[in-house]
Amino acid sequence: MLGLCLIVFGRVFYLQIIQYETYASLGEENSIRQEFVSPARGLIYDRNGVLITDNEPIFSITVTPSNFDEDKIPLLTELLQVEDSVITTRIDEAQRYSWYRTSPLLTDVDFETFSLIQENIWQLPGIGHQIESKRHYPTNMKASHIFGYLREADRNDYESSEDLRLGDKIGKSGLEMVYEDALRGDLGVEFLKVNAYGQSLGNYEGERSGRNPTQGGNIITTIDSELQAYVEELMQDKIGAVVVMNPHTGEILSLVSSPNYDVERLAGRLDRDYWVEINSDSTRPLFNRAISSRQPPGSTFKPLMGIIGLHLGYITPETVVRNTGGYRRGRLYRDIAELGDYDLEKAIAYSSNTYFYALMDRISSQGDLNNWSKLVKDFGLGVPTSIDLPSSTTGIIPDSAYMDRRFGKRQWGLGDLINLGIGQGVISVSPLQIAQMTSSIANGGYRIRPHLVQSIQQSNGEVQITPEVHEKISWVKPEYLDLVKIGMRRVVQEGSGRFYAKTNIIDIAGKTGTAENPHGFSHGWFTSFAPFDDPQIVVTVFLENAGFASTSAAPIASLILEKYLTGEVNRPYTYNHVMNWVPKEDNSQREAE
Amino acid sequence: MSNARDFNWSTAFAWFVLTIIGLTAIYSATQGPVSEFLPDYIQANFFKQLGFVVIGLLLMIGVQFVSPRSLLQLSFVFYFVGVILMILTLFFGAEINGAKSWFRIGPFGFQSSEFMKIATILAVANYLTSRRNISAENIRYALISVLIILVPTALVIAQNDFGTAIIFFALIPVMLFWSGLPYGVSLFIISPAIILYLTVLGWQFGLIAALILTGLIFFIQRRTWLTITSFISGILTVIGVQLALSQVLQPHQIARITAFTNPSFDPTGAGWNVIQAKTAIGSGGLTGKGFLEGTQTQLRFLPEQWTDFVFCVIGEEFGFIGAGLVIFIFGFLFIRLLNMAGNHKHPFAQLVTVSVTAVFFIHFFINVGSATALLPVIGIPLPFVSYGGSAFLTNTLMLAICLNMDFHKREFSIYR
Repeated sequence: MLGLCLIVFGRVFYLQIIQYETYASLGEENSIRQEFVSPARGLIYDRNGVLITDNEPIFSITVTPSNFDEDKIPLLTELLQVEDSVITTRIDEAQRYSWYRTSPLLTDVDFETFSLIQENIWQLPGIGHQIESKRHYPTNMKASHIFGYLREADRNDYESSEDLRLGDKIGKSGLEMVYEDALRGDLGVEFLKVNAYGQSLGNYEGERSGRNPTQGGNIITTIDSELQAYVEELMQDKIGAVVVMNPHTGEILSLVSSPNYDVERLAGRLDRDYWVEINSDSTRPLFNRAISSRQPPGSTFKPLMGIIGLHLGYITPETVVRNTGGYRRGRLYRDIAELGDYDLEKAIAYSSNTYFYALMDRISSQGDLNNWSKLVKDFGLGVPTSIDLPSSTTGIIPDSAYMDRRFGKRQWGLGDLINLGIGQGVISVSPLQIAQMTSSIANGGYRIRPHLVQSIQQSNGEVQITPEVHEKISWVKPEYLDLVKIGMRRVVQEGSGRFYAKTNIIDIAGKTGTAENPHGFSHGWFTSFAPFDDPQIVVTVFLENAGFASTSAAPIASLILEKYLTGEVNRPYTYNHVMNWVPKEDNSQREAE
Repeated sequence: MSNARDFNWSTAFAWFVLTIIGLTAIYSATQGPVSEFLPDYIQANFFKQLGFVVIGLLLMIGVQFVSPRSLLQLSFVFYFVGVILMILTLFFGAEINGAKSWFRIGPFGFQSSEFMKIATILAVANYLTSRRNISAENIRYALISVLIILVPTALVIAQNDFGTAIIFFALIPVMLFWSGLPYGVSLFIISPAIILYLTVLGWQFGLIAALILTGLIFFIQRRTWLTITSFISGILTVIGVQLALSQVLQPHQIARITAFTNPSFDPTGAGWNVIQAKTAIGSGGLTGKGFLEGTQTQLRFLPEQWTDFVFCVIGEEFGFIGAGLVIFIFGFLFIRLLNMAGNHKHPFAQLVTVSVTAVFFIHFFINVGSATALLPVIGIPLPFVSYGGSAFLTNTLMLAICLNMDFHKREFSIYR
């Protein structure tokens, strides 16, 4: 008997003295719960200080699986007015995340439901409520492809980052994704005393101290929200993209991909119907055409061809090529520009293909393809754009290695290259790249880096300014640029642009283009800058299935230029034309270019 | 007449200290910050216990004026009254925590099985010592004694109070052994319990224990039939337990056993109590977290912390010093009681004192064993410390009887 007493004594000694450390920490963990406190996500401003994205409080219902009683699911579904499966899936997810931590059950419930849960909380163990926030977009622009949407962190997300919990919202596209780390801020930690039922008993006062959440940094974008809204208005019901850029700095004033989607509707609780709708829409509203669409540049490529031809010495400003209805080299490469003699300026102004076929023929036959490719890439085509948005395309500017890969060694020839001279064939670019190329022409031959964020203001007051790139493209001489710029000016004054892009108020220079589309109507391009003498702004418009670029893309660009440079638009005729425009195939389009 | 100097003051003092420790722990467990999470009727437990202590003190004093001979004379009367009360309880009793062991008279309720412990001890002791020729050595007398114990045991099982049944069962070997049952036979009687315990931990242990015990019985008793019977029953126990674990027992019962052998298997379910109890005691350390400061106790992590897990409250808030003191006082109490038994000339007094000691010890061992996860969780109170009127008063009464017989031992000599 005394032996057993000693065993009991020894057991107590073992637990309390030898195993003390183990059980002391167990006991502490038992009664202290670490709660994370979400920081406020950083705000987003436009270039003029207009608040374009902020946070709005929403009511959320939470669940702590260890305390939750599964028998209460029917009551819960009744109160929340959702289906059983919604609740059970969420509880499963929460359980997989953590048995003891609090996870969101249903976010963004209306106030009535929130109050109902509050009233019944006593009979719903493990259920809680909290006030969270969701993104709110106070201006009348959508800018969905710029902002991007947030989604709740799923298993992959929280398993890969210590700072994430199930249900935390993280940027999944756009600026929200690229600047996720800056915007999110740092989680605060709070130690709460809890009892065995998981009820919080207020703050824990002891050795462990929590930390306050750090608010996310605010982002100052380069966007002009007023202009963005105007561009969105012009692009309504059209499929395409517009990029508006400062040619000297690369600051993007407006970036529109149409159709867009309502980013506000993706901000709170996931609207599944809407999500399915925009995902299955054949016009792909989630696709950012402005940076991700890969299209042949068409005739918008001609000014750059001219610059390269001058540099390589295959042409001079005086070189004249006669258009006899096309360029004959093995076969006939058609040209529907007016018959006659063309120098570089005129060839750009009236978009004569023959001139550029001949130029490209010379470059190719002299074995300068790779050199040509390199020079094109200096203008930002065929290389990554380094814009601060996800999934921008590099595009394709072929060199011999590319042609070998694409067609096989020695399986390609001159016939595949001559088309490149007019921006057709195995060449593709994004609207953003065309805007970047136009900027480099307009700004006197400087390479710039297109970007959307000017600076980030950290919550501690530190300001992080996005460095701008402004470096001279060494081989580009001003006289080359002057020549093609005059050509582009003449496009608007006397060429195809004269119908809708010409205005007495501002001096616009630009170039139309057609991207051949094997599946239907051709896609139309118009890239432009203004004022001609002192370029302040570059506007590139790309319209899918637009057919006639000079009547579709060009007027849009001219309205944007006018709006930006004068602050208002005084051409109701053009405006109405754009707003009522419907795509129609025009067989004479080549002629008009 | 006895002299006040003859009274065993140190034993009474041990009772008093345990009672005060109990009150302190019950106060902490029901009136501390934890009271916020407790219903009123549980908060009231401290005040009720305070009342029981006062009654217990009066009982303790009152009993000292009774002649021990009258206890002997009335033992069968008590026994029959007790059995009748238990039968009545079975029909008219109230059910609390699944056990139908409460008998109510007006506002007062008590557990008839608790009172029955005393009555049974007195009755068996009286029977086994009533005549010189009666001895447990004789199989007939032994069986009659066993029958006297089995009647209330059966009733307790019928009341669904398994913890108390264990106490009655344990009385069988103790009382028989003390009144002459040979060592080997006594060992044979308790061997199934040992084998059962070890088989639950692992059937290999059970098998080894069965073999060792059989060997021991053979060496002590040298009776072939007893050895063979012991061997067969040992093997049958191991097989029976294995079968019960795999076939007979319900899932929730198996869960409780698994919770003991491997609490981390289901930490939020059946293993919860075991883990929380161990955590409470372990986190107390040497000096404890302080009165009303135990997080396990005050944040309601402990189950039944005013009764079955009261030892955890002491361990957590007063540390090894407090828990060790409780064990020490119990050890002291057992030694004093056994000492008393040894000094008795009268076999009735001897047997009663030893049986009472055994009852206290089994309570103590199972309760502290459960709390420290040495044993599966069996709901049994810690004598004098746990909340519970019937148990407290019964235990006090039993101790008071032992003290009374010791106090009056000179006048209570052999066979007058």
